[in-house]
Amino acid sequence: MKDLLATVKSNKKIAENIYMMTLVLPESVGQMHGGQFVNLSTGNGAHLLRRPLGVCMCEGDEVSVCYQVKGKGTKYLTEVEAGRKLQVLLPLGNWFDLDGCKNVAVIGGGVGIFPLVATIREHFQTKNFYSYIGFRNIDAVCLYNELAKSKKLTITTDDGSYGEKGNAVGAYLRDAANINPDIIISCGPPVMLRVLKQKLKEAGITTPCFVSLEERMGCGMGACLVCVCKTASGENARVCRDGPVFDINEVQL
Amino acid sequence: MANLQVEICGVKFKNPVIAASGTFGFGREYNLLYDISVLGGVSTKGTTLEARSGNPTPRIAEGSSVILNSVGLQNPGVEHFIKYDLPFLKSKGIVVIANVAGKTLGDYGNICSRLDGLVDMIELNISCPNVHAGGMALGVRPQNIFEVTKLAKSNLAKTPLIVKLSPNVESIAANAKAAEDGGADCISLINTLTGMVIDIERRRPVLANNTGGVSGAGIKPIAVKMVYDAAHAVKIPVIGMGGITSGEDAIEFMMAGARAVQVGTANFSDGNAMPKIIAGVNAWLDSHNINDVNEIVDTLTLN
Repeated sequence: MKDLLATVKSNKKIAENIYMMTLVLPESVGQMHGGQFVNLSTGNGAHLLRRPLGVCMCEGDEVSVCYQVKGKGTKYLTEVEAGRKLQVLLPLGNWFDLDGCKNVAVIGGGVGIFPLVATIREHFQTKNFYSYIGFRNIDAVCLYNELAKSKKLTITTDDGSYGEKGNAVGAYLRDAANINPDIIISCGPPVMLRVLKQKLKEAGITTPCFVSLEERMGCGMGACLVCVCKTASGENARVCRDGPVFDINEVQL
Repeated sequence: MANLQVEICGVKFKNPVIAASGTFGFGREYNLLYDISVLGGVSTKGTTLEARSGNPTPRIAEGSSVILNSVGLQNPGVEHFIKYDLPFLKSKGIVVIANVAGKTLGDYGNICSRLDGLVDMIELNISCPNVHAGGMALGVRPQNIFEVTKLAKSNLAKTPLIVKLSPNVESIAANAKAAEDGGADCISLINTLTGMVIDIERRRPVLANNTGGVSGAGIKPIAVKMVYDAAHAVKIPVIGMGGITSGEDAIEFMMAGARAVQVGTANFSDGNAMPKIIAGVNAWLDSHNINDVNEIVDTLTLN
């Protein structure tokens, strides 16, 4: 974990309200993995909190993160130009561990797809990804070329304006028996994860399933106890440090 | 290089910069970023007799140059602290301040008694609502502050007592005096102000707890004024805090009367904030040809 002054290489819109920022780090932090995140300063001194953003791509000394414009901080981030320097704490959190897995089902929704893209990029040459990715509509679709590194890619939209009409969880459940993956990895809106957990249970699917969670954070490293979630036994777990990736059966969604 | 060492209630700090309670856990995580033995001290996460799970999430929100938190004293309990966290903090050779809280007056007495002689200092967090005070924070009325301080002090034979004052009060000077009269060896201030941030799209507060404690750079002028008022109402030493993000900020608090400072929210903005603040204090002293940080304490001349 290092707190570095990174240089913005690019910062561009990739879909409706979604941007990708590529940072050049002044020194290596080693290989980062899908699921891990960075805590990025907006560069505006009035924003005392950093923004926790999932790693989407990582190559050499370059790290790319994607963000949805949600509030003042992310709005300000969209205006940051190439060449600007931003303080960034990284790498943070755990990741999707695919050791021993060959066939991987990927279920993603909206801004939850970025840690999944990082995971696919990291392993697509040695593992088979069966990806089910849901977007609101055609304007929200992004990173198709990255997602297409999957052995099989199914894209759904809520309104049917791109790919199948429907949602990622439903599309996966339809195909689950045929794929029979070693593991399911998922990230997306809380409601999607809740539905996923419920539907897997109803369908009697016992494939190990890991989800990446999102929560408002303070320090990003596990000290401040701001970003907790409840474990199945009712204890608090720190999303930033014990997660953000959890076994779906070990957290309350 | 100026002398940065300060002494408060007989406790020697290698420099006057202390991690503020609640932002730094028990130091382990920040120690992965830098060796925390460079710090003057650490005030621990607010610790209670029993483990507490805290408030629902979201527990943090942001305003302009401030943040709000409503973590709600989540902590593993004092026995866990003594067994697992205290040995680590002691191994770093820094001043260990146990920040403690309770639900009842009796809790404050019991936790002080448990920690007496085990830590370098105890900091009493009296800002949480308390049943004995009719749900009002014990730290609001001078009489309550006097009583809880007296009780805590009567349970301490070895460890100096700091009383941490809330700013959400009628008179900070009167409350500082009440702590001194109750037997406090030192006071620290300010704890967070209370505030609310609203998500106007949802017409709901951002924090699940609706309100939270406001901290960060934006509150600094309020904190400096309160530190000045408190420091001039008592003879016991004062530790100042509230929005410190640079060496110059720390100097400002010390000129207002603080013998040392605590740094909280700045750790979120910059993981390395505290080592930078220590370097900043030293650089300011050097550039003003001052060879001892203690020389700047309480040196303010009013207009």
